[in-house]
Amino acid sequence: MYVKVSYIFIILFIILVNYWLGILIQRTDSKQRKKAFFYLSLLINLSVLIFFKYWNFLIVNLFEFLGWLHLNNLVSAPFLDIALPIGLSFYIFQTIGYITDIKRESIQAETNFYRFTLFTIYFPKLLVGPIERANHFLPQLKRKISFDKENIIDGAKRIAWGLFKKLVVADRIAIYHSKVISTLEHQSRDTILLACVLYTFEIYADFSGYTDIALGTARMFGFHLMENFKRPLLAKNVSEFWRRWHISLSSWVNDYIFNPMALKYRDWGQRGVFFALFVSFVVIGIWHGAAWTYVFFGVLQAIALIYETVTRRARKKISKKINVYLYDTISILLTFLFVTFSLIIFQSQTIPDAFKIIGRMFTNSGPLYLYPSIGLFMITGCAFMMIYDLQEEYRIWSFSLFSNKSWLIQEVAYALLLIYILVAGVFDGGQFIYFAF
Amino acid sequence: MNWISKIKQKELPSLFFKTVVFLFILFLLDFVFGTFLSNLYSKQKPGEFYRISYVIDSTKADILIFGASRANHHYVPENFEKRMNLSCYNTGKDGQIILYNYAILKSVLKRYSPKIAILDFSRDEFEVDQQSYDRLSALIPYYQSHPEIRKIIDLRSPYEKYKMFSHIYPYNSLIFNLIMGAIESHKERKNTHEQNGYIPLNESCYRQLSEDTSYGSENLDTNKIDGFKSFIKDCKNSNVQLFVVFSPILVKFPHQDPSITVAKSICKENDIPVYSFINDSSFYHTNFFATDGTHLNDKGARVFTNQVIDSIIRDQEVNLSKKILVSKQNISNK
Repeated sequence: MYVKVSYIFIILFIILVNYWLGILIQRTDSKQRKKAFFYLSLLINLSVLIFFKYWNFLIVNLFEFLGWLHLNNLVSAPFLDIALPIGLSFYIFQTIGYITDIKRESIQAETNFYRFTLFTIYFPKLLVGPIERANHFLPQLKRKISFDKENIIDGAKRIAWGLFKKLVVADRIAIYHSKVISTLEHQSRDTILLACVLYTFEIYADFSGYTDIALGTARMFGFHLMENFKRPLLAKNVSEFWRRWHISLSSWVNDYIFNPMALKYRDWGQRGVFFALFVSFVVIGIWHGAAWTYVFFGVLQAIALIYETVTRRARKKISKKINVYLYDTISILLTFLFVTFSLIIFQSQTIPDAFKIIGRMFTNSGPLYLYPSIGLFMITGCAFMMIYDLQEEYRIWSFSLFSNKSWLIQEVAYALLLIYILVAGVFDGGQFIYFAF
Repeated sequence: MNWISKIKQKELPSLFFKTVVFLFILFLLDFVFGTFLSNLYSKQKPGEFYRISYVIDSTKADILIFGASRANHHYVPENFEKRMNLSCYNTGKDGQIILYNYAILKSVLKRYSPKIAILDFSRDEFEVDQQSYDRLSALIPYYQSHPEIRKIIDLRSPYEKYKMFSHIYPYNSLIFNLIMGAIESHKERKNTHEQNGYIPLNESCYRQLSEDTSYGSENLDTNKIDGFKSFIKDCKNSNVQLFVVFSPILVKFPHQDPSITVAKSICKENDIPVYSFINDSSFYHTNFFATDGTHLNDKGARVFTNQVIDSIIRDQEVNLSKKILVSKQNISNK
């Protein structure tokens, strides 16, 4: 683990600047000054984010561009050897949202410094979000918190599910997926295809697992953080997927980028909406990391959403002619396939790497590389997770172990869940795949 | 019967009561499943788990081969038995390091002293690498029954001893392997061509001879170096003749790896014979190697094993003649 104590000053700086500017924006009557303070805050927040997260990416691309003009030898590239402060993108976006809400006068600036600090860096959400909203979280910090045993129990249950998703599903698939991708040239198309499909489950289990742990921990302390995932793998189209996947980010982008832009360019008609969509999804893409693959990932999502907007009527006509269950099932499968395809770009270091994976999916014949025990662990983990999601979504069975009316049955169910985590969870790097042999 | 009536009550019981009941259920299930898995583990016949159990609890072989996958696939016990007239078992295990080998040696020495131990030493054996500690998980099922290896397993993490409170934890991630191992009709296990621990590889190599100009990791793990020293010390104390071997690889190394430098100097201090086949051009043939060029195939392994045996016999003869000379001198001095 890399620990740099001085990084605490970055968080402190962000807190101080936004606390102070938030109050100034609210107190000033002049619209121009309000605007100036707002843009100052935006500039500071984005500068910190760009400096730590995107500096080297920008420099690489700038020097490549200068290389085309044969000017890259004039100065040496000022690369920075710095680690990205953990959780930076989460709390920067959160504070930008806070400042924007004050400027829009939809919330009051927080005058209690300690409360604002807690809002910014409340520990369960600091590392992996969700990106909280001031109007949702700040009022919770103002009310009196008292011990509630239901919060403890519900929080613990949520943490147990998070641990299951992370340790049993995500980390198990990660061993297989990383091994396959790192030895791509020796893998068959079936193996690569399987690894890519499993990666969709891995990333969902990993991120939503962490979120469950964060939400569960906050709940134990009496706080309700916003939901970040709502069974996204059961989405019937890409726009629905983004309403269910990383909700705190997609709704943030919707509120602070898409809606203002769509409004600004409303004279352009549908083209204005498409432009706003495009920019929004490029932001979502690049938010994940400093690489062209993330930009391309965002662009793909925007294209899919534009396609869905254009074909909405045609698809509605088709849906009326087909059995509703069949149509829904096909829609879910197609959405899953699209997400899996776009995640190939997401998981790759470079765009050529992504095309290499896609290319090998269609060329390398050979046997499927999968030990039966590894396959069973992955399949049972994914199946368990998806059955739980299906039950939550469609309430297929009236009997439920985990939300049974009897607390004793619930306790047995959760004890069995923990036992399964002990049996099938990945606790360290000991569960390696010795690939060659 | 008071607690049953409490459960039936519509009003929820206290958090404390619920927690106690939950913990009781959890420990009970842990005990039941853990015992079931432990029984499954002890009933394994062929396969990886059986090999570890056999080495730790049963083998009485005169010659033991220690090391990682390169030990496992490079040393043919059959050749040792034929040429040296001594029984031999190959304990080499994929991805393992000196600490695993030392744990195995400790548990063996508790039962008996083999005549010869051959330790296959890998490049970067001493490098700092958390994964090698994680892989000691293979020994966890023996934590309770073999106190002599506990200190080594505890190196995995400061919390390891606490994790051992669980009866399931030692068998984490093994359930499907154990079930498949217990099913007699499982063909894959039956087809494991294990020969006294040695698993031959029959693939052909896809790589050509290459050169690695790196200097190896300078960052060495003191636990691993101490493990190596202890391995040597315990062999000496138990009169086990130890040979350290650097087996062939289809890569040229112009620079000596820091781990090998340290290992050689420790061996020299302790008068342990070292046979290095790294950069041995007689093994620069792709038909000696399996798939990735780091492991010998069966053909290569048999050629290599014979060369190791030649070296051991030569050393033993030299030692014997030295001893005879010394005893003759002693007699003449008297």
